[in-house]
Amino acid sequence: MAAGLASKWSLVGRSLLGGLNNNLSSLLGTSNGITCSHSLSLQQRTFIQMRTVLKVVDNSGAKKVMCIQALKGKKGARLGDTIIASVKEAHPNGKVKKGKVVYGVVVRAAMQRGRCDGSEVKFDDNAVVLVDKQGQPIGTRVFGPVPHELRKKKHVKILTLAGHIA
Amino acid sequence: MRIEKCWFCSSTIYPGHGIQFVRNDAKIFHFCRSKCHKNFKMKRNPRKVKWTKAYRRLHGKDMTQDSTFEFERKRNRPERYDRNLTENTLKAIKTIDKVRSRREAKHIERRKKGKKAQEMREAVKELEQNISLVKAPSVLKEDPSLTLPKIKVKVSHAQVENQPMEE
Repeated sequence: MAAGLASKWSLVGRSLLGGLNNNLSSLLGTSNGITCSHSLSLQQRTFIQMRTVLKVVDNSGAKKVMCIQALKGKKGARLGDTIIASVKEAHPNGKVKKGKVVYGVVVRAAMQRGRCDGSEVKFDDNAVVLVDKQGQPIGTRVFGPVPHELRKKKHVKILTLAGHIA
Repeated sequence: MRIEKCWFCSSTIYPGHGIQFVRNDAKIFHFCRSKCHKNFKMKRNPRKVKWTKAYRRLHGKDMTQDSTFEFERKRNRPERYDRNLTENTLKAIKTIDKVRSRREAKHIERRKKGKKAQEMREAVKELEQNISLVKAPSVLKEDPSLTLPKIKVKVSHAQVENQPMEE
């Protein structure tokens, strides 16, 4: 079991390193004789994995959550997937308190996701909507745009609450 | 399925190409390729980047106002499917495209050549009027061979006119 865990950690480590390597290589490649601002924008966006801090975009009371597990996906969660997260920052009087372990659906991801027509979508930040075990959202409002990938994943309730469907 | 226009270079984006970026204020930017996308990330203004359509239209390099552009306006009203309408639209697209590209080529041609005839006319006028800046008119009167020969192209009728004037 220890060996299994070790292999899992090494995989996670490798993916993290891989992410880091990507960042470093892109930075090194571009920073040769180019201004600082240029290298900043050539970031490689990757999956949402353990320790990723995400913004909460509903009115459930939480403000920031940290992902502790991406359900489904060896390398991490993407747009439309569910994650298990721990609330790191919360509004003083909300349904969810700091330190609580919650489920969430990723509604905006900085990493591009392929659509079935061949194009790719990416958002400006990483955001979640908190849900319960059954997949029903805890809050009653959703802020910002949401992708219509959620329809395929059967998160119709979030789509109805959303103000904008990307 | 919709054929979009690239936000940066204004080229058409066919299905399967490009990246859509959704900003948090729900504004969607379509890019045709990573070149445009990277320029956008660098916060470059397409109106200042020479190879974009936005720049060319702004600086008068390409046609801006034409009736053929009216056909391509985005209409958000869905049309009821009608086979004849679709057929006619497809035919119309082809002809409109041809007309538009012909007009654009004409515009560019006109822009490039324009000045020669006008420059010629101006040169002739200058020669007639300001020859005194080069040589004193009294000298010219004495020896008509000292006058510069008239330019042959298109102004041969003017030569005949000017002979009595020189006297």
